[in-house]
Amino acid sequence: MNRHNLLKVMGLLMIFTMVLAACGTPTAAPTQAPEQTEAPAATEAATEAAVTEAPAEPFTFGILLVGAHNDQGWSQAHYDAGQYVEQNIPGSKMLYLENVYSGSPSYPGQTASQLAEQLVSQGAKMIIFNSDDMKDEALKFAQAHPDIYVLGPSMDWTWKDGKNYQESPNQIDIMGRMEYGKMMAGCAAALTTKTGQIGYLGPLINDETRRLASSAYLGAKYCWTNILGKNAADLKFKVTWIGFWFNIPGVTSDPSQVADDFFNSGYDVVLSGIDTTEALVEAKKMHDAGKDTFAVAYDSPGNCDVAPDVCLGVPYFNWGPSYVATIKSAMDGTWKEGFQWNAPDWADINNKDTSAVGFAKGQGLSADASANLDKFIAELAGGLNLWTGPISLQDGTVYIADGAVATDQEIWYLPQLLEGMEGQSVSQ
Amino acid sequence: MKKNVWVNIGFQAGALVLALLITTLILAAAGAPPLKAYGSILNGAFGSSNNIVAVLITWAPLLLTTVGVLITFSAGLWNIGVEGQMTLGAIFATWMLRMLQDTNLPPALIIILGILWGMVGGALWASLAGALKTFGGVNEIFGGLGLNFVSTALTIYLVFGPWKRPGVGSMSGTQPFNEALWLPTLGTGLSPWGLGLSILAVILVYLLLRGTYFGLRLKAVGKNMKASYLLGIPTWQYSMFAFLLCGALAGLAGAIQVESVYHRLLPNISNGYGFLGLLVAMLINYQAIWVIPIALFFAALNVGSVQLQIVYKMDSSFAGVLQDLLVLLVLLGQGVRERFLGKA
Amino acid sequence: MRVELRNIHKYFGKNHANAGINLDIPSGTIQGILGENGAGKSTLMKILSGYFYADSGEIILDGKAITISSPSDAIKHGIGMLHQDPLDFPPMRLLDNFLLGREGGLFPDRKVVARDIQTLAAQFNFSLDPEAYVDTLTVGERQQLEILRLLWLGARVLILDEPTTGISASQKAKLFETLRTLAGQGKTIIFVSHKLEDVEVLCHKVAVLRSGQLIGESPVPFDHKKMVEMMFGKEISLGDRYPLNAGGKVLELKNLAVEDVRLHMEDIHLDLHGGEVIGLAGMEGSGQGPFIRACSGLLRPVNGRVQVNGHDLTGKSHHIFKRHGVSFLPASRMEEGLVPGLTLTEHFVLAEKTQGVFIDHAKGTKLAEERITSFNIRGTPVSTVESLSGGNQQRALLALLQTPLSLILLEHPTRGLDIESTIYIWSKLKERCKQGTSIIFVSSDLEEILQYSDRVMVFFSGKVTPPLDVATLTTEKLGQLIGGSGWNNLNSGKSL
Repeated sequence: MNRHNLLKVMGLLMIFTMVLAACGTPTAAPTQAPEQTEAPAATEAATEAAVTEAPAEPFTFGILLVGAHNDQGWSQAHYDAGQYVEQNIPGSKMLYLENVYSGSPSYPGQTASQLAEQLVSQGAKMIIFNSDDMKDEALKFAQAHPDIYVLGPSMDWTWKDGKNYQESPNQIDIMGRMEYGKMMAGCAAALTTKTGQIGYLGPLINDETRRLASSAYLGAKYCWTNILGKNAADLKFKVTWIGFWFNIPGVTSDPSQVADDFFNSGYDVVLSGIDTTEALVEAKKMHDAGKDTFAVAYDSPGNCDVAPDVCLGVPYFNWGPSYVATIKSAMDGTWKEGFQWNAPDWADINNKDTSAVGFAKGQGLSADASANLDKFIAELAGGLNLWTGPISLQDGTVYIADGAVATDQEIWYLPQLLEGMEGQSVSQ
Repeated sequence: MKKNVWVNIGFQAGALVLALLITTLILAAAGAPPLKAYGSILNGAFGSSNNIVAVLITWAPLLLTTVGVLITFSAGLWNIGVEGQMTLGAIFATWMLRMLQDTNLPPALIIILGILWGMVGGALWASLAGALKTFGGVNEIFGGLGLNFVSTALTIYLVFGPWKRPGVGSMSGTQPFNEALWLPTLGTGLSPWGLGLSILAVILVYLLLRGTYFGLRLKAVGKNMKASYLLGIPTWQYSMFAFLLCGALAGLAGAIQVESVYHRLLPNISNGYGFLGLLVAMLINYQAIWVIPIALFFAALNVGSVQLQIVYKMDSSFAGVLQDLLVLLVLLGQGVRERFLGKA
Repeated sequence: MRVELRNIHKYFGKNHANAGINLDIPSGTIQGILGENGAGKSTLMKILSGYFYADSGEIILDGKAITISSPSDAIKHGIGMLHQDPLDFPPMRLLDNFLLGREGGLFPDRKVVARDIQTLAAQFNFSLDPEAYVDTLTVGERQQLEILRLLWLGARVLILDEPTTGISASQKAKLFETLRTLAGQGKTIIFVSHKLEDVEVLCHKVAVLRSGQLIGESPVPFDHKKMVEMMFGKEISLGDRYPLNAGGKVLELKNLAVEDVRLHMEDIHLDLHGGEVIGLAGMEGSGQGPFIRACSGLLRPVNGRVQVNGHDLTGKSHHIFKRHGVSFLPASRMEEGLVPGLTLTEHFVLAEKTQGVFIDHAKGTKLAEERITSFNIRGTPVSTVESLSGGNQQRALLALLQTPLSLILLEHPTRGLDIESTIYIWSKLKERCKQGTSIIFVSSDLEEILQYSDRVMVFFSGKVTPPLDVATLTTEKLGQLIGGSGWNNLNSGKSL
């Protein structure tokens, strides 16, 4: 074979690998898969049955997941909620597509609204766009399909008092008040850290992520000063953003690397703000190597299972109840578009039938810290509002005046991180 | 002559059948009843007007990258850098639109300038690969690959840096353009302009390669550089032209993506269209006339196979597997034919 | 080791490359093999070293008939061959080059091998560093390396094909000394060359091949004249000569110096007149290639001037030469002359001046039909050039030439062609000459040179004779000059 041909063959091989690589899904491989989904065969059979002999009045809904359905984080929380719906509403059926995000190599050149069409062609009457990355697409789809219900977790299109209100009668936007969960996460971190340095593994930068990182900081600061009685100035709280909800090799920063950098520079607790489990995995690696490192997970209640020993706990979303309510309202005609920002059920934040947000403690949390955390949770339940002034933004401007209580808009549309936090408020 | 054509078609058809057979086995192994699975792919691609629109939307850029690489293939060049050239087209188009969107210029003019500037961007990027090849002796495969990486890095820098959405730092993309600057679309996002330009490009490239002195010289350079030089053809200039033309077409594809599909710049804007274009070009044995149906087939596979994930929970890479298999088997078939029946 | 070849036959298509060759080489002999290009020397050696199968015949080593199926099989039998072109080495270390040829041993012991190399090298006074890279070596050093490698692999018969091309005089002396030592150790050396002197100095006996046949054997020393006769054949028929139709100066070379990787030629002077034909004679690789390329702008001369029709084109590109009416037809028709995959029509369209943007296909086909008829090409306008036979490819190349032209440069215009094609092609070329076009052509066919040239330049490892009037030349004299002897009798060595 002469040189020219050799190059050709090399080129060909390269293209194949590229194409295949592009087709592969770039999600973080789950470390071990505590697969708690039902046997896929069952779902499949159900699907087929639906295709061939439709039972009376079924309600099919489709979810576009930004990550993998088993990412043990954000997307799995939605997937689990979908299964919760299937259990609680007879005749309901979930369809889903995963790894749906801008430029996803899984769907070259196809937008979320086009993928929603594919779900509709399988009979979906409601589409859940589960990420802010699909925000524009969700609205576009909703407006083009008045006959299909649209659910926009973490979006604010239908919030009349919000900044971005749009008329979209077939759309409901939903969010859990994760501020509380994040406060608990921050508190657990503050109660555990020995170095007084807490790292926050942030996803991309926007209103939501600033809000959640800041809430974690507020919780950490409160427990650091009020429970441990330490000086606020001694608490370091740093946010490092990776650029998206999960690792996209070559595009985002590598979250494992970011977590490592935290642990290697004196931060002994890392709070995860991303959809996947890198913070826990890296904390465990460090822990196994003899370091006293911990992480707080995010999004999905089972998340701590990845590395129980180093997990202080996980603030999680419980989308099931709100999904059930929404779908029922669509089925019985009581649908009311609008924005829902659902608080935890303070009677039992971990009640999976009532609470939109919960916190599951991890084995890494000491008994002492656990007791203190319970105390903090009780205070929150009792009406403690950490979004009360004085609160200043990172650049020093007063955001919430002394004694004033932040409005929902002020919390939702937080323009910067808070004073006392390190890290970028907007990307540079 | 005639006989050869039929033998050729026979081999292509054989490869197709074999590829289908293997994919059928894969489907069966993955637990999807093959016939129904093919049915659902068809349904996903052509089952509704919306699905057809989705196919056409992916078809347009694929046409452009395919005819682009046909030009470079004609000149004997493996322009793997077509991905990067498409990306640069997207970047340049975004640049022009961002620069002009707050001026009083008529939106139509801005849109056209964006498209032209995108073509310039793609051509410039391609000329880099060409210059590396011609003056630096860097093989275009490696030069193109390197430039692909650089273009990705540049996009990421722009998306997170100077062109970010205010208050946001996400790879979701830059601030969308004013709606006035979106290429007008039909239904759920099909831009007749984008599609029209793409089909026009196919026709022009077909004519260029088939009927012009330029095309014939390009072919001669691609097949025998030394002889072409002795025949009086300025060989390196023609290689460079090929790069420039391919880059401009890829740039057009990138510009169409930002102006009609995404309305913003985002990472991975080229979405593998460049590599897919190379595959299509190989599959059709560099015959421009087949671009239209085969690219449509690939686009339909990409769109339709989404159904496999919905219905059978199969990985969405199925379309890619089938496409790769097809190309591999067709190339294999050509090799077998040449070995046993002599060159066509 | 005693090597006996019995009745070896080898055909390439119709070409009978080896026609019943018998040769007996006792142990410890240095056997010379002489013959012109295409005489069948290389074929015979390649059969012996496992690159080709003989169609029939026997190879007998030390009285035992063997079959050799591959080069590595040959080395197992103790036969190793050094190649004519030792430049073709990949850029790797000496040591790795050694290890490559050896079978077995997934993890060779590099230290042991390195020591082996050094011991062997010391034996012959070679200074080779096992860790050096092969591509940093000179041609002579590569040869030394190759000899060591073959010995190390156990060669008892060494075949050397044109080993003295491109090496220095001192390296040559060392090579000869080494070969004599090896012969003294009982090894058999087969030395293939066209250089009479080398063969005479080194070999014990010599065999001459011509047209695939063993013409004769001779002990050393031998009679040069007789040898040349044996090599080139006695009878050379000079056909009708065309009268020289000398016009104005078409090409002037002044003090030209040209070089390539191996050769350096200087002080070349030439005044070429319109309609004149100059033949370039010499063994292949003696400098004709660089010379003819320098005349066409494909190779930049290192010194001197090239003028075409009075215009100084020194250092200009081939396309400028082309504009001044210079055309070059290379020896490798399919590699450099024609474009495989394109049809005859497409070739003619490419060679013509462009008219507009679009090709007029009907006109192109008509043009192709005309040329096919007038050049007697067996093919159709839509035939791809690779589907044509060699003779027809050569006709197609000639058909591509533009009219008018000042100078046509050709390499081996009739190589591989049958008599009919040869005569046809020269009739076409001579037509051109009558129109005032000059021709310079390279050929290894002495008859062709003497038949068609007005003047002849002979090349021998970097030396060039002045243009010699063909009337003063005979086959014998030309043969001697090509073999490197008789140069002192020329009026002057180089400055003309």
